[in-house]
Amino acid sequence: MKNIYCDISATTPLSPEVDDFISKIQRTVFGNPSSIHRFGQASKAVIENARRQVSDAIHCSPGEIYFTGCGSESDNLVLHGIPGPGDHLIISTYEHPAVKKPAAVLESAGTIVTRIPPGTDGRINPAAVEKAIRPETKLVSIMMVNNEIGSVNDVAAIGEICKAKHILFHTDGVQALGKIPIDLQVLPIDFLSMSAHKVYGPKGVGALFIRRGVSIPPLMQGGGQEKNLRPGTENIPGIAGFGLAAKLAAESLNVTSTHLKNITDRFLAAISHRKIQYFINGSHQVPGVLNIYFPGIDAQSLVIRMDMAGIAISAGSACSSGTTKPAGALLDMGLDRDRASASVRISFGKYHTIADMESVAEALENIVLPLQKEIFS
Amino acid sequence: MKTKVMVAMSGGVDSSVALLKVLESGYEAFGVTMKLWDYQTSGGNVSRENSCCSVDEINGAKLVCDRMDVPHYTIDFSKVFREKVMDNFAGEYLAGRTPNPCIRCNSFVKWDAFIQQADILGADLIATGHYARVELRDDVPVLKKGLDPVKDQAYVLWGIPRHTMTRTLLPLGNLTKPQVRQIAADNRLATATTPESMEICFIPDNNYMRFLREFVPDKVNAIGHGNIIEDHQVVGTHSGYAGYTVGQRKGLGLSNPEPRYVQKIDPETNTVFVSKKNALLTFGCNISSVNWLVDPPDFPHRVQAQIRYNSQPVTADLAPGSTGELQAQFSEPQPAVTPGQSIVFYDQHETDIVLGGGIIEI
Repeated sequence: MKNIYCDISATTPLSPEVDDFISKIQRTVFGNPSSIHRFGQASKAVIENARRQVSDAIHCSPGEIYFTGCGSESDNLVLHGIPGPGDHLIISTYEHPAVKKPAAVLESAGTIVTRIPPGTDGRINPAAVEKAIRPETKLVSIMMVNNEIGSVNDVAAIGEICKAKHILFHTDGVQALGKIPIDLQVLPIDFLSMSAHKVYGPKGVGALFIRRGVSIPPLMQGGGQEKNLRPGTENIPGIAGFGLAAKLAAESLNVTSTHLKNITDRFLAAISHRKIQYFINGSHQVPGVLNIYFPGIDAQSLVIRMDMAGIAISAGSACSSGTTKPAGALLDMGLDRDRASASVRISFGKYHTIADMESVAEALENIVLPLQKEIFS
Repeated sequence: MKTKVMVAMSGGVDSSVALLKVLESGYEAFGVTMKLWDYQTSGGNVSRENSCCSVDEINGAKLVCDRMDVPHYTIDFSKVFREKVMDNFAGEYLAGRTPNPCIRCNSFVKWDAFIQQADILGADLIATGHYARVELRDDVPVLKKGLDPVKDQAYVLWGIPRHTMTRTLLPLGNLTKPQVRQIAADNRLATATTPESMEICFIPDNNYMRFLREFVPDKVNAIGHGNIIEDHQVVGTHSGYAGYTVGQRKGLGLSNPEPRYVQKIDPETNTVFVSKKNALLTFGCNISSVNWLVDPPDFPHRVQAQIRYNSQPVTADLAPGSTGELQAQFSEPQPAVTPGQSIVFYDQHETDIVLGGGIIEI
């Protein structure tokens, strides 16, 4: 049985080029980047090269990129760094926990928090953000692409609203990088969180874009690395891998998008052809990501049975124990609990082939169709 | 195609060895950890390593399954667990009775709900790490005690749906606990040295009153202090009837040369009745919620009856009851026959065969 991994939104496999590069860096470059000697210089050069690669990918200046340990850390830096007690913070209800939980902590310390739900299209209405703004609003944090449904938010419009009112705008771009073009020359964004392992890079490394002229305090105290924002000796191989992964993602963005659009279109045609009943949740998805409602199924059981058939998909949001809850984003969109607990996320990536897609459709036919026949006949 | 077995994995040594034995028998297997509760609903987070449903236990189960190259899934059963076990647990104590939540869990969750899940996931059989056996007698499966007299758990399985026995594997039934630990050590299972879990899983601090106060605060707080009565005389006060159980000696706050025991609890009047030990003896009880694991016999029917987890079975005659479904007459009087606890019937000749059981009523 060939295993097919269709959970690209959760994480991606490491690309072979990145793997080779990380191995090479680990073998050859080990100096402490803060050291004065040539060993240190070599490591510093690796980091600065990666910084340029990441900044090129999103069209900002290298000095605006800060490496962190993960996307969650980037989110936390911004959330904990900007609004204080008495300030007003606007987030969406379907943010990643790395935004939602810091917001709740801030709230208990006196920050006023407004949470905006997505519409039935899976997107945040910029007008709703505008309406929520108050004189005390310090920060708006709305994700660029939702992790559960893949819908792309109009961050350009939200950013313009914030800019006009001199409010800082953060967007969690973890699910967007490498999937849609991000041009920070055009987009009025002040902070952008990113993660390497969603773009065929290594785990354990993230980055934060901070627009020049804005500053935030560090979460940890220590050395002066990353311009005093993130102490600790840098994860050189990880950062190197992130740089290359970001570069590759930006270079192949058009090709990958076309490929993924082709795969998802043909996938939907294939399951329609097999007479499987389904509905897509949300709209404006990034290429490759589908949140699908299969009437009559239990999402958790479908995920397990697909896994037994060698196909990895996901349902809801995973919690630490490994059980699943219905995707909160779907409930936030106004879908009922029955639909939410019968919906799964299938996410395709750049290495998937048409044959892989056919295998997924076939497995769904074997598992979903009998259940639907039993229920709807 | 190989027969597929869904193995209940608690993350402890018993279920790990059960999985190993299932695989050794040539079955295809996968492990499932049942998420039954969380600290948010049950409180008492004392970070004990041996409390099931903690993330550590689930991770341990996943590691064991991975070493044996079988899939592992964690499935949420917390809704049925809360309805059938936790709500019942609180309700029984509030009714002045003494529940056995582990038996309820086996009956309604670990067998009934689990086998339904097995159907959904396409498993033919289920397996658990209980120390009991399912064997064929005249081509019909019967539940028997485990061979290890110290660990035998047949008593807690009287309530499982009879139809599930044909689909149940109990791979540890022929082993002793030391043997199981040895097998785990020989196979370098990560869970070889996990400590024995003794308390009720959702009350890891072993303080059931603390649980009740948090789980049903309004009802528990409304109880208040009440009288302790012996021979129609008030002999003391207690802190609320729900904190007492029939047969209890300690914590009554009485000073008598001869110890006193809780004889009866009346939730209506919030009264705890105490007596000397010999007054606890009763010759029989009514039985509700009867479950048969064999064809129901003709009555009267003589069995070996066990009225608590650690007690020796005694000869008893079962007959249709006046208030309960059945009535048991013991051949000799039994101490502290406790409403809410289980009475388990064993075959009077083949005394390791469980015929069925029920809940003790007064």
